[in-house]
Amino acid sequence: MIGRAVANEFAKMRRLRVVPVVVAMVAGVVALSCFAFTTPGFLDSVGDPSGQPWQWLLGSMSLAVPLTSPILLAVLASRQVDIEHQANGWLFSQTSGLPPGYVCRVKFVATGAVVVAATLAQSGLVFALGTLVGITVAFPAGQWLGYTASIVVVNLVLFALHLLLSARIGNQLVGLGVGVLGVFVALTSTGMPTWLARCFPPWGYYALAMPVDAREGGMVWLAPAHLSVLALGVAGGVLFMLITRLFDRQEA
Amino acid sequence: MVGHGGPVAEMITTHDLGKTYGGRAVVEGLDLRVPKGCVYGFLGPNGSGKSTTMKMLLSLVRPTTGEIRIMGRPMRRSTRRELLGHIGSLIESPPAYGHLTGRENMRLVQRLLELNDDQVVRAVHTVRLHDHLDKRVRDYSLGMKQRLGIAMALAREPRLLILDEPTNGLDPAGIDEIRRLLKQLADGGITVMVSSHLLDEIDRTATVLGILGNGRMLFQGTRDQLLARSTPDVLIDTPEPQRAAALTAQWHPTRVDGEAVRLSGLDHKGTAGVVSRLVRDGIDIYGVRRDAQSLEDVFMDLTGGRGL
Ligand SMILES: Nc1ncnc2c1ncn2[C@@H]1O[C@H](COP(=O)(O)OP(=O)(O)OP(=O)(O)O)[C@@H](O)[C@H]1O
Ligand SMILES: [Mg+2]
Repeated sequence: MIGRAVANEFAKMRRLRVVPVVVAMVAGVVALSCFAFTTPGFLDSVGDPSGQPWQWLLGSMSLAVPLTSPILLAVLASRQVDIEHQANGWLFSQTSGLPPGYVCRVKFVATGAVVVAATLAQSGLVFALGTLVGITVAFPAGQWLGYTASIVVVNLVLFALHLLLSARIGNQLVGLGVGVLGVFVALTSTGMPTWLARCFPPWGYYALAMPVDAREGGMVWLAPAHLSVLALGVAGGVLFMLITRLFDRQEA
Repeated sequence: MVGHGGPVAEMITTHDLGKTYGGRAVVEGLDLRVPKGCVYGFLGPNGSGKSTTMKMLLSLVRPTTGEIRIMGRPMRRSTRRELLGHIGSLIESPPAYGHLTGRENMRLVQRLLELNDDQVVRAVHTVRLHDHLDKRVRDYSLGMKQRLGIAMALAREPRLLILDEPTNGLDPAGIDEIRRLLKQLADGGITVMVSSHLLDEIDRTATVLGILGNGRMLFQGTRDQLLARSTPDVLIDTPEPQRAAALTAQWHPTRVDGEAVRLSGLDHKGTAGVVSRLVRDGIDIYGVRRDAQSLEDVFMDLTGGRGL
């Protein structure tokens, strides 16, 4: 059942402009990360470890992600859910044996896969770009992959939140408004102390995942709060299951 | 009645079905009897509880009181999955994703319910939508959307079809189209329960009528039983209506109506009695006839609070 339902979700994505939104999500991050190249001396120091080219690139990516993801994930979730509101789809699914919460979970699986793919593409393309401009300094694989894994988790939690929000509140402007506000929170969190950023889940967690920061004299490695991000993922997953179970029990 | 062990003659039966929202009874004490193979016209004014009842039948809404049996089996949350496989439905507005074509919408149904191509083709042909499958549903007319919704409900080859106001908003040609479709489906052995707030829309198609008012069943039976239930007035044409009326008023409610005397609530025997009395009293009678009364009048009587 779940396989067929997921396949149907992918079929519903046709003409929903999912591809442009995802392209914007990936291209946005890649383009913004390119700002690292405009740092004076960046392109001259691609072979010089003291120039910290990978750190600069990762640093700009970790600002580009919170700048674009909250709003684009809100758009993505809203598109998926709004079609159900428009099409009387909840009732139809229910009479075919799929209660509303189940539909939300299926949407999370289908579109969540797209979100994961887009996030991996962001990270991969920024890496490819770095190689392309000729960075020969040793690649900080651990930090890079750790950051990528963290934003996959934060993106999924945020996406799940927006799915529920759009499903619960018919007016899709609410979800989009929260998305815009999310950009603001996510960006300001990057300047907050860790304990404060932790108070704004899930947006603040983009900041907790940041592996580098610009200090006077160059980039320094931070100790990203991977455990906090993991906790966010677990808590988000449990809440999502609980809330969608409630949706299942709801009356039409 | 549901027999003990024997074949079940009813597709749907409910006993004391009721739903209360926030202390207000929206449906109350409903005993539905929907015979197999009929077109059951479920009538009632706006807000009378038709949609709520249909949602309870589909187990989309939990009844506050009473129980539902479909094909003799109890319909509950625990059994609905299996029963819903035999029920096609269309509640409130036709389902269908506007950004997809008719064909793509049908494919969603097909994949979800594991139907074969034949079933889908047959459903689409039944509603005569095969020439419009490649158009986006957003560009469909309302009638085409309704028909697509019916095709989506039909594709699973249900034994019972529950349609909530499928003629709502359609023009006369569209209504006629749906009417013919329902007749055709019933001839094919499917039990159809169809709701409407306009008697006229389903009067000629429905073989059994259930009339709902304020959440209660006002009438359930055939069209003829409904007509028989309220006796139309008897009109007696006479040159002396005043004198005749003075006489008949002693036994029956009487009104002078132009050149005639109008008597209400008279059966055949009563009519014969009145006529012979008038003749005995030397009043000339030019004609005796029943006032023409449409089903619509009866319906308005029942639901408008005039009759009940
Ligand atoms: N979820 C709900 N919560 C509270 N009241 C409800 C709910 N659903 C329906 N009602 C009320 O129940 C009554 C019956 O509604 P219902 O939709 O069943 O009527 P209907 O006969 O289908 O009307 P219509 O012809 O307008 O479709 C209405 O007064 C409506 O306001
Ligand atoms: Mg209704």
